[in-house]
Amino acid sequence: MRNSPPETPVSSIGDRLPGPDSGAPLAQLFESMRPDLLRFAHWLARDRATAEDIVQEALLRTWRSRKALKDTGAARAWLLTIVRREHARLYERKRLELVPLDELTEIQAGPRPAEADGELFALRHAIMKLPIEYREPLVLQVLGGFSTEEISRELALTPTAVLTRLFRARNKLRVIYGLTPAPDATGPGGAS
Amino acid sequence: MTCDEARLLIGADPHAASPELEAHLQGCAGCARFRDEMLTLDAHIRRAMEQPPDSGRARARRAAAPWRQWALAASVAVATLAVIGVWLLRPTDTLAHEVVQHVQGEPESWLAKEQVSTPEIDKALRGAGVQLELTSDKIMYAQSCWFRGHYVPHLVLETAYGPATVMILRHEQVRTRQSFREGGLSGVIVPAASGSIAVLAQGGANLDSMAGLVQQDVHWQP
Repeated sequence: MRNSPPETPVSSIGDRLPGPDSGAPLAQLFESMRPDLLRFAHWLARDRATAEDIVQEALLRTWRSRKALKDTGAARAWLLTIVRREHARLYERKRLELVPLDELTEIQAGPRPAEADGELFALRHAIMKLPIEYREPLVLQVLGGFSTEEISRELALTPTAVLTRLFRARNKLRVIYGLTPAPDATGPGGAS
Repeated sequence: MTCDEARLLIGADPHAASPELEAHLQGCAGCARFRDEMLTLDAHIRRAMEQPPDSGRARARRAAAPWRQWALAASVAVATLAVIGVWLLRPTDTLAHEVVQHVQGEPESWLAKEQVSTPEIDKALRGAGVQLELTSDKIMYAQSCWFRGHYVPHLVLETAYGPATVMILRHEQVRTRQSFREGGLSGVIVPAASGSIAVLAQGGANLDSMAGLVQQDVHWQP
């Protein structure tokens, strides 16, 4: 699947790190981010198993190039970027099988929560249904904490196009809350 | 600032703040109400997305990264510039800058020790509709990367001067050869039969010579 032969499967990247040059703190840092990365990948891929593959691959890739990480404060953004690129590559490599969305969200959302969480359930469903061109910048912004400019660089879009896509993503979600969608004065494209 | 501009900014990021936006909201009840609605909705979106996959339990809201305020301010500033069309005037050397950024984002590409198999190379090239007939240099890294809205082959060749990166940019046109030096990398982008080719290296590789060879070896499929 990858350029180089896959290494030992990493259930915990920390297991692979003994050695004089390793630096357990860095391994712990990467490992501590796994839940965030999984959630991020899950919202991109809409599939838990795929998300785990993506994160596994991203952590391996990051570990191989750990010496390039000069500032551990930048690790999170770096890892998220690698996860997003892995996800993009996966689309091209696998041409992911299409699963009916209703079936997918039923499977992944688990049992329908109590009525009090009904709105949240509906919102999760609606986010899952967003086309990737709207979901991706939203996930980058909300979960990744990326700025518009950073998203535009990562997605190769103009900042205006990113704003447009974020606007349209939230506009679609307004309906879930019984709000009237705002007039879309952003033009037809939303792309660079 | 018009209502359309204000709602674009608020809809894209309900937490956006700028003097212009605040001034507009002071005098526009409709946009102020829109922001209140979007802030409420955004809190729910964050709650929904911060739930771990396959779990109905909501998690406590993650604390915002300390640099987020700066990021918000930057996004507003960028949006304002974009609205007045400044983006249209962006210099062409951003292509070189983005190529460098992309390469720096994949530092492991320089570390590969094994030659990539032919099927892997083909896979990296397929998305861009190109074929490559390299005979002298070893390809140590081959990926199909998402760059400026397209999949582009990202290769690292082992040369006598050390590793060199080649990106085949089918959708990027340059009129003439561009050379650049940034972030410890030297590079050239040269026009090709269809698109352009970027070659970058850290050492003293003869970039023009390499670019010329790649130009000859790339076959552009219709």
